[in-house]
Amino acid sequence: MEQYYGYFIYALSLLTMGGIYSVLALGLNVQWGFTGLFNAGIAGFFAVGAYTQALLTTPIYRDHLGGYNWPIPLAMLAAMVLSAVVAYAVAKICIRLRSDYLAIATIGIAEIVRLIFKNEIWATNGPRGVSQIPKAFEGLPQPWNTLAFLGMVLTIVALIYLALERARTAPWGRVMTAIRENETAAAAAGKNIEGFRLESFVIGSALMGLGGALMAQYLKQIDPNVSDPLTATFLVFVMLIVGGSANNRGAVLGAMLMWTVWSSTEILTSRLPDEFAIRSAYVRVFLIGLILQFILQKRPQGILPETRPKPNPRHRGDNSPVKNSGRTTE
Amino acid sequence: MKRLMTAAAIAALVAAPAMAGDIKVGSVAGVTGPIAELVAPIVAGRNLAAEDVNAQGGLLNGDRMVLMLADSQCDPKAGVDAGQKVVNVEQVVAVIGASCSGATNGMVQSVTIPAGIMSISDSATAPSVTDLADNDLVFRTAPSDAYQGAALAKLAWDAGFKALAVTYSNDDYNAGIAGVFAASFEGMGGKVTANQVHEPNKASYRSEIQTLSGGGAEGLALFAYYGGSGITIIRNSLETGAFGKFMAADGMFDVSVIEQIGAENLVGNLMITQSASDPENTSYQIFAKAFEKTGMDPAAPYASHGYDATFLVALAIEKAGAADRSKLSAALREVANAPGEIIRPGEWAKAKALIAAGKDINYEGASGAVDFDANGDVAGFYSVNRPGDDGKYVMEFLR
Repeated sequence: MEQYYGYFIYALSLLTMGGIYSVLALGLNVQWGFTGLFNAGIAGFFAVGAYTQALLTTPIYRDHLGGYNWPIPLAMLAAMVLSAVVAYAVAKICIRLRSDYLAIATIGIAEIVRLIFKNEIWATNGPRGVSQIPKAFEGLPQPWNTLAFLGMVLTIVALIYLALERARTAPWGRVMTAIRENETAAAAAGKNIEGFRLESFVIGSALMGLGGALMAQYLKQIDPNVSDPLTATFLVFVMLIVGGSANNRGAVLGAMLMWTVWSSTEILTSRLPDEFAIRSAYVRVFLIGLILQFILQKRPQGILPETRPKPNPRHRGDNSPVKNSGRTTE
Repeated sequence: MKRLMTAAAIAALVAAPAMAGDIKVGSVAGVTGPIAELVAPIVAGRNLAAEDVNAQGGLLNGDRMVLMLADSQCDPKAGVDAGQKVVNVEQVVAVIGASCSGATNGMVQSVTIPAGIMSISDSATAPSVTDLADNDLVFRTAPSDAYQGAALAKLAWDAGFKALAVTYSNDDYNAGIAGVFAASFEGMGGKVTANQVHEPNKASYRSEIQTLSGGGAEGLALFAYYGGSGITIIRNSLETGAFGKFMAADGMFDVSVIEQIGAENLVGNLMITQSASDPENTSYQIFAKAFEKTGMDPAAPYASHGYDATFLVALAIEKAGAADRSKLSAALREVANAPGEIIRPGEWAKAKALIAAGKDINYEGASGAVDFDANGDVAGFYSVNRPGDDGKYVMEFLR
């Protein structure tokens, strides 16, 4: 009985972390999936969101800023806005860079952000981080607080999903696809490439900030290690690519699936004798890389490949209706 | 939750006497991540304690103590996830760990405190762990950094230093000790002429040293890991003549410091505090002898703390009389603190007999007396180590 209750609580924690990573993966999907912006600095925007949430809501403490007592939802909004502002400033400078150069620039920016949080000790308590971060619904008794928090995360994921689906099928989304596939052609069609790329970058980064704000609440403790590139940038890319780039459902599926793999493999490896258990901790990282290789080789489009929006017959003039196989218009 | 806990307790009571089985205890450690090499001996210390328990009759009715290892990667994300696994999937009765302060803070606040599970960290040293609202569930056998910084400051003051420059490597451990050191030294009337952070693993620190050397400092208080930046900073300081006298905390305690800088340059000029067990303490000697047999170094940082944390969990379970999560923290205070007959590492059979006879016991650990205060912290014990002419450290235990 208690064992099943334990499995249940663990499943909730998997879904919660999967949900938070879904927010990050959906944010990346706007940038990389829709528009083809290679943002390798997810950790930076994630950290801005996480620290904003932490510092605005945490009670006053001798080692860092705090005591502003913002309500949690307002702080989450502020986390999104601040990440968007940082993203706007970054995009103003770097968005014209072609994909691989943008990747280099954003890696650098993520590292700058992490080092600022690590070194501005008066504000962030430096490498020691911020503790005792308030979490939504934590006043409820167990397991209702866990359930309520999970409910909030999944609601946010659902809202983002619906909004991004709407955006993807709207003309806005089609412009993004056009920019990704052939920037010159899109420019020739009169689209303001730079403006659209900037919009995509800012929206995606705001979502990453929201992911950071949720993560800060869930962990109740953040320090610069939280925005470690392995688990805050690389893992999110793996999630999106495994799930299916440019497919919102794929982003959510990839996040849930990869987090489950990342977390639950340890349950098996911890049953090995100690010397193997210590080594197997490294094997898990290897395993993630292997899955990525396998998916890239066998299913380069991910588990759920991209589907192009169905053309709306009302706007199609006198053309005959297109058969909706899901991937009609190229 | 209360009802479920009660149900769980009843289920445990019904199930436990039926047969001797396994009692699982979580062993959460930063197996991968930035302090991986420090963690291996700590985990070995924990395992040795569990082996001692199991070899001398096991827990309760001969149940085996099984440590469930989980990786906290020195990252709160992984720490929380590791906590969820050991608490919910493995259904452990208590948790040892996590390794780093950040991972520990995350794990206890998000998982173990809400679930009502006792945790003992053997290596989280941040002062913030003390301040948690923990319902008396969070303990640690590692002393808070606050103590070591203060101990070194007093040592420097007593040695006659009046003005010192301070530099520290940019990580949570060294930053914490440096902060306490500077505050304590100034509190005694000393002057901190400069207090500067540096990034580890640079090829040269000449420009940092130049900034630090002004202001009439009589020596340099250096908080770093010897391999990261410590040795380079000492070398650069001696080369430029900026500093000739150094004091440091346990991140610098390694014989390679003397080997690479040369004993002739350091004799009389360097003192290093280390979180230490009293070498004349019988408990430490017992532990050291047993630990060396497993091929590990008993002086490895926090290995003895890991042993003590694990042994204390076993004693608490025995004292509580059941693998019951809700009774352990009260039982832990009874077995760890005076009064009672003294139990030392490895004396499991004796402790078990005394508890069965209803006598009080008081565990005197390998790392120190491990008497928990109201916050679940222990007092720190330190040694000061000075290089000797033979290229080895001469250790003096601070009493």
